[in-house]
Amino acid sequence: MLVVKCPVCGAEGDETDFHAGGQAHVRRPATTDPAHVTDEEQRDYLFIRINPKGLHFERWRCDRGCGKWFHAARDTVTMEFKAFYGITELPPMDVIAQAKGQWAEYFEHRLKSEHKA
Amino acid sequence: MSELSYQSPLAGITAPSGLSISIREITERGMIDLRGLTSDAAFMSAVKGVLGMDLPTRPRTSVSWGDVKVLWLSIDQWLILSSRSKAHELLAILRDALKGIHSLVVDVSDMRAVIRIEGEGCREVLMKGTSLDLLDKEYVQGCCRRMRYAEIAALLDVVEDNVFDIYVFRSYTHYTWNFLCATAKAPAKLKLFGAQEVPA
Repeated sequence: MLVVKCPVCGAEGDETDFHAGGQAHVRRPATTDPAHVTDEEQRDYLFIRINPKGLHFERWRCDRGCGKWFHAARDTVTMEFKAFYGITELPPMDVIAQAKGQWAEYFEHRLKSEHKA
Repeated sequence: MSELSYQSPLAGITAPSGLSISIREITERGMIDLRGLTSDAAFMSAVKGVLGMDLPTRPRTSVSWGDVKVLWLSIDQWLILSSRSKAHELLAILRDALKGIHSLVVDVSDMRAVIRIEGEGCREVLMKGTSLDLLDKEYVQGCCRRMRYAEIAALLDVVEDNVFDIYVFRSYTHYTWNFLCATAKAPAKLKLFGAQEVPA
């Protein structure tokens, strides 16, 4: 059993009160540049997901509470939640620092691009 | 065209004998779904002007003024309770007051059915269907929350200590009623924490 806490309304409860919504931070390429979306980008957006052993970032919904979506950082080995954060937010910096592999690459790229903008 | 008229989903059904608590359906309740942004001062003051009270902004709380009660459903959603006859009139006044303000007001009186659960031990009966700890001090009068009850979506309103209203979508009414009848049977009465009574 996972104990989830919604960062929007503060409801804390069993995972059955919530709904897991898959991998977090998946970006739809057509949102930024609909005219130049390659087949590979669209394929990656639809089907290719990270399946890490260790720290993972997911979308959850406060299904039997306030009904809002939010993000969670969870360790897939220990099932421990590291952080809950808003749907438009990035994880806390100390959690980002623990990310490995593809997630580390993703956040490095993301932080760099946000720094530029 | 035939006349539209309200029919209770549990019409003609009475609670069986031998229950440890009392359950009954409440049919005379009008419900209005209200959505808007708490950050919008025009929205908040317009609603206050109609209802005479501030909307509850603290999660899982309710407020009441006279015969109108407002339940917090989400950070941008509330359920306004009144009598079924008054809901229509209230809806028109709210619509008028919120004209031009980003918001939504809909009469949802027939969307949900209300079952009232009363009596000593009703918390324990409800806890047979949910993962919530209803013995926690959070669940006192003025608390309301959506929850997963008997695997379906329900809305719980703590009316008083040992008086609960449970709102379920209308098509689940029979299911909820039967679940309550089954779990509230007197010999199945639970006492959480401490020694259990041995059924006779």
